[in-house]
Amino acid sequence: MSTAEHIAFICPRFAEGGTVGGAETLLRAQADHAAQAGRKVSFLTTCAKNHFTWENELPAGTRKIDDLDVTFFPVDQDRDIEAFLKTQNAISRGWSYSRDDEQVWLKNSVNSRALIEHLKEKGDQYDRIILGPYLFGLVYFAAMLDPQRTVLVPCLHDEAFAYTQSIAEMFCAAGTLMFNTRAEQDLACRLYEIAPEKCHVVGMGLDSFPSNPTATARAHGIETPYILYSGRREPLKGTPLLIEYFATFRERTAKGLHLVFTGSGPIDLSSQVEPFVTDLGFVTEQEKRDAMAGAACFCQPSVNESLSIVILEAWLAGTPCLVHARSDVMREQCRRSNGGLWFANYPEFEEALLLMLDNSKIRDALAQSGRHFVEEEYAWSTVEKRMLSALDAAPPTPHAAVS
Amino acid sequence: MSEPAFEIGADGIDVDRIVAEIQATVEAKRARGEYADPGIARAELQNLANLKDESEFLSFYLECLRQSAFVDINDYEIVERRRAMSGVLVSFKRLIWKILKFYTYRLWSQQNQVNGLLLTAVENLDNQYRSRIKELEERVHELEGRGADSSDSV
Repeated sequence: MSTAEHIAFICPRFAEGGTVGGAETLLRAQADHAAQAGRKVSFLTTCAKNHFTWENELPAGTRKIDDLDVTFFPVDQDRDIEAFLKTQNAISRGWSYSRDDEQVWLKNSVNSRALIEHLKEKGDQYDRIILGPYLFGLVYFAAMLDPQRTVLVPCLHDEAFAYTQSIAEMFCAAGTLMFNTRAEQDLACRLYEIAPEKCHVVGMGLDSFPSNPTATARAHGIETPYILYSGRREPLKGTPLLIEYFATFRERTAKGLHLVFTGSGPIDLSSQVEPFVTDLGFVTEQEKRDAMAGAACFCQPSVNESLSIVILEAWLAGTPCLVHARSDVMREQCRRSNGGLWFANYPEFEEALLLMLDNSKIRDALAQSGRHFVEEEYAWSTVEKRMLSALDAAPPTPHAAVS
Repeated sequence: MSEPAFEIGADGIDVDRIVAEIQATVEAKRARGEYADPGIARAELQNLANLKDESEFLSFYLECLRQSAFVDINDYEIVERRRAMSGVLVSFKRLIWKILKFYTYRLWSQQNQVNGLLLTAVENLDNQYRSRIKELEERVHELEGRGADSSDSV
């Protein structure tokens, strides 16, 4: 296949403002950099902004946003939510379901007939169609239209949905797979029978930024060291676990420590712990970076991560990380960078946190290693090379078999 | 946590070694009973979904149950989040609690009995299954040994 001159990016939501997730941010950043590298880029997305309601809030049509031509298509509003939830429950609870059930589930997931029609009519104009994340009907049906041209950016997690036959078929059919980390690629190779030569680890780049380590504490009157979490606050992201662990840590160790949150979503706090938790809510990029730079450590309690951009940002801000050991991706990133520690249970959390608070030599060495790792591995110049090389590589013939 | 035995050199540090040392420290403290704390059991409830695939999950879960099965309502701290008149409000709540205590004790003691019985039942089941599995493993091992002997003799 020739050089990818005209590239279409497809993502169910377009990352504009701060209320989108990591996958949307990743695809937007990759699209921006492909455009800056001189490739013609078209971004195809839906009119939805809210990932709970999927209402068409934005006007349909094409608009120029920075260097990108972004086309917004309406989300189908005639989904059968009941049928969707029925199979979704069966899959997540490990009950029995068939491939037909999976197809009903995908058809009633987030879809856009208008976007699929566009691909059917005009898909030939694109040399590559980059799409993700994997867990959407829209992504599945778009990938299956022209698998050889498809570059899947799955943002894969080790979760029940990844084990369905339809998802396995999509991974096997896609011409190219672009993963965020080696651990994510290893997971895909373990779950599906995919040719190694079509797998590429690309990820997202970050460039160094200035930050003020004292700004957050000064602005919010925090007089003790603090640990930080940035991102969506919800059970799947592990925030209730972090709050419980933090409360227990304070109770058991009597250490003066604060917990700071940035991001969106509710936080449920008991009256005992409330005075020691500061919720900054949605903040600017600079405020987030300042909060990261001033933290004793950044904690990522989520086990469902394929990259965790905030961990990379924390390292770049000069802060070590503490992650959940159940996340292969996070553990592997800490191992490769020597920039963070991991815990599988509360006692390990307590010991690791005490070590970072009490031993500045180790904390600083972790922070320095993490920063060095991001500068080496995730500088945009490096990531852009990896991305363009993956896009320009001729994809191998797909495997028909599914493990 | 003791200071890790190695020195941090110019080449950086080894997080595998640090985590291994943390895990060793945890094991030693666990053996000394330093984590037998209802607070940890409560905190760990949020982590159970991540522990279910671990071989030691049931042991750990039982440990959590042991720590939290018997509820003590005597040490229930009465607090007031509103600053204005907090002293008066706390005294009022304490008074209500004194009145309600009499009616609550019966429910509380019955709930503790149920919790205790359930815990004992689960522990017994766990012990029985562990012994049974051990017996079966020994039996399989013995039969495999016999099979290997007979094939050698052929």
